[in-house]
Amino acid sequence: MGKILIVDDTLFMRTLLKNILVGGGHQVVGEAGDGEEAVGKYKELKPDLVTMDVVMPKMNGIEALKAIKQLDAGARVVMCTAVGQEQMVKLAIKSGAKGYIVKPFQAPKVLEEVKNVLAAPA
Amino acid sequence: MTTKTVPAKIEHNGAWVVAQIGIREDGMEIPAPIGVDILYKKIQDLEERKNELVVTTSGGSPIVVRIRSVEKVLAVLKRLILTSCIAYRLAAYFMSPAIRGGVLITDAQWEKGSIAVVKTGIWFVSKDHQISIPLAHVTNIELTKREIQGKNLDVVMIDYLENGSVVSSLVLCPLSTLQLLLNFLKDATKGIEMKGDELDPVSQQVAMLVYSGMDSHGIENMLNIQHKQLDSIYDRLLELDIAEVAMMRREIQLTPKGVKFISDATKSQIK
Repeated sequence: MGKILIVDDTLFMRTLLKNILVGGGHQVVGEAGDGEEAVGKYKELKPDLVTMDVVMPKMNGIEALKAIKQLDAGARVVMCTAVGQEQMVKLAIKSGAKGYIVKPFQAPKVLEEVKNVLAAPA
Repeated sequence: MTTKTVPAKIEHNGAWVVAQIGIREDGMEIPAPIGVDILYKKIQDLEERKNELVVTTSGGSPIVVRIRSVEKVLAVLKRLILTSCIAYRLAAYFMSPAIRGGVLITDAQWEKGSIAVVKTGIWFVSKDHQISIPLAHVTNIELTKREIQGKNLDVVMIDYLENGSVVSSLVLCPLSTLQLLLNFLKDATKGIEMKGDELDPVSQQVAMLVYSGMDSHGIENMLNIQHKQLDSIYDRLLELDIAEVAMMRREIQLTPKGVKFISDATKSQIK
């Protein structure tokens, strides 16, 4: 079980993800609504894992991922993408993302991916 | 023409009958008690369900034959039928499945073969594989681009539900043919299209939460809505045919007898 930071610009998606993660026994230590806020919260909270939306205002998910990886090369970031954004996933993985989950979320798949990423070496 | 006989089970009057089917290059002989000879070119539909094939012929009074057999036999039958049956058919490269649950399948390969669209399904046919996608399971069809051998090429992506997960398959052929295929498939699956204004935002959120696996109680809590409102949203989703009833759950309250029972049980625990 891990301490997780949820990053998404929509409250609905953050709440949904929080419900799924808490239901799976994880602790959601913080939420951020854009990339800039995510980087700040990462410094402050030092979570075990970040779920990162790709399309967000101010700083998008890929930029935020890169900024977090500069702060902490071992950061575990799981990207959240929509069906059909596989090219974006490739870019995210190249940029250091440890995994990805697909919207609309399905609880078992989210929990499985989070478990796998937490279990993998940083 | 050479006839090869293979063991199978044929459905007859609701029971499965062991039979030896005769397979030729142009048709198959189903022995008594069914006793029919079916030419592949007269077949208008082929459905696959686990280890079972359902063959439907064309004509005024179509013959429907259900066949169960080992995978090897069914594979031969599928290949022969799909090569000759009444179908929209074109040569193409396909990758099926290419994406499962949004996850790229790392060892997925492009296969050279054909795509055949029959009455109830889309089939990908190659030398080694015959893969079926029931039209009723298709969730989206679109023309998109994929990087293939360093080139950004047009492909048709077919999304469908398989065991509760969205799976995507890709079809690659010349652009003009892809456009024809896309139009044909869109027409064959037009029942899945919805207008954007058919659901209000709360109903859309409910649908998304149902997809995420949340139950009614969880949805009411998360969206802060009452049971009656959720019930009416469920009615709307059912009416639009985008959801089905999975189970009926009851809410109960205790009778005086029940209240006495739990009161007594509590007292005995205290002692």
